[in-house]
Amino acid sequence: MKNEILRFEDVTFTYHTRRGETTAADGLTFSVREGEFVAIIGPSGCGKTTLLSLAAGLLSPSSGTVTRSGSCGYMLQKDELFHWRNIEKNIFLPLEIKRQNTAERRRQALELAKKYGLGEFLQSFPPQLSGGMRQRAALIRTLATEPDILLLDEPFSALDYQTRLNVCEDVSSIIRSEKKTALLITHDISEAISLADRVLVLSPRPTKVSHEHELDFGEETRPIKRREMPQFSTWFELLWRELNA
Amino acid sequence: MKHEYSAEHRKYLGKRKRNLTLVWILRLGLLALILGVWEMIAALGWVDPFLTSSPSRIGKTIASLYLDGSLFYHIGVTLLETMIGFVIAVVGGCVIALALWWSETLRRVLEPYIVVLNALPKIALGPLIIIWFGTGSEAIVFMTVLVGIIVATLHMLSAFLATDNNKILLLRSMGASKFQILRKLVIPSSLASFISMLKVNVGMAWIGSIMGEYIVSRAGLGYLIVYGGQVFKLDLVMASTCILCVLAAGMYFLVVLLEKLIVKDAES
Repeated sequence: MKNEILRFEDVTFTYHTRRGETTAADGLTFSVREGEFVAIIGPSGCGKTTLLSLAAGLLSPSSGTVTRSGSCGYMLQKDELFHWRNIEKNIFLPLEIKRQNTAERRRQALELAKKYGLGEFLQSFPPQLSGGMRQRAALIRTLATEPDILLLDEPFSALDYQTRLNVCEDVSSIIRSEKKTALLITHDISEAISLADRVLVLSPRPTKVSHEHELDFGEETRPIKRREMPQFSTWFELLWRELNA
Repeated sequence: MKHEYSAEHRKYLGKRKRNLTLVWILRLGLLALILGVWEMIAALGWVDPFLTSSPSRIGKTIASLYLDGSLFYHIGVTLLETMIGFVIAVVGGCVIALALWWSETLRRVLEPYIVVLNALPKIALGPLIIIWFGTGSEAIVFMTVLVGIIVATLHMLSAFLATDNNKILLLRSMGASKFQILRKLVIPSSLASFISMLKVNVGMAWIGSIMGEYIVSRAGLGYLIVYGGQVFKLDLVMASTCILCVLAAGMYFLVVLLEKLIVKDAES
């Protein structure tokens, strides 16, 4: 068994606003092991983003524990590239923030960018790039600090369908070939099946893990290929039922 | 690249250029028409030039101000007061807005005071200003700052507070400190608002300095206007107003120039 990178142990989280309190999570327990791609799906409004904020350490649980060994990189729905910085400077942003802005780290980040087809766009500004390219740049920015786990918050949901499939393919191959651990949160069942090794299903609020599945696609990690395989629709049907239970 | 354009595109560019030329001809034509009609009705005695003045009388007044050496003295006094007031209001407004962005408690404590100060007609403070600052340029600069600083503060604060929350979340996930969020995100993303604040504040600075000179002054364009009004020298009033128009427009275009420089710099 490989090391656990992230572990939620009986996590409860309560939101407080002027109008009252809402329990977003209650008794949430799961873990992500090194090198694993885990997808979490849940009904809308079940507190998916809260879960990622807890994993990133931006929020602290009301009770229970969240343990993470190593650093994390967060990728959001939109690319959130800064329009006043060119792509290269955007990719260096986390290095500046984490005070790791050394020539060596910059060189590694640029190598990564070139390897995944951003070489000719490094001096371009975000508005000059297509949505797909921008999301790719956002991924490279996330990878620049070499995080131990990637937290992906519906990173494809703002893209149109065609781009979405392509970027999904892209992101999958980059994460797999860099051997990164990833935790994806999405409401899109087919995206979860096409990307992950393991899928967790969340219950409505207050949320906890209601089902957990190890997917059986063998060595096939390419999303498009997975979508063509016979077990894809079986998984889809099962997860659909569990999500709507 | 230019030589690669198609005939249709060249035609389109030509049309745009002709259109621009036409707009400029009409603009200048309108100015000439206004001045011409004004001059004519004054010369023909349809209106009393003693009350309406006329372009030629304005020209003569400016020439005589120039000859007795007081033209650039008065322009200099007002321009200096306006500029100093403008700079203090802009810098002060940005600093206060930064402090208010930084501390929500401070923002909530000061909110009612800022609302009242914003709504208060600053000219009501005229007598106080005279007593506190005397009758020199200090009083006028203070009035200019007073008129501009609240507007600058509110404008910049709303720009700072409008910073995209997802981008803040992104930086926080990288472990950014509040100061880093300010420096890497909040300030650069407020650049466009900063320029629009400058444009608004050019107007505010002129309102402040001329209002200040109305209340208390011994020199400057506002002084000339008040003095001209009191002794019924409307040529002097009109001449000073025209000079003001030119100066205010010049300052505004300096800001536009700055905008072009900064925006170009950020995107090249």
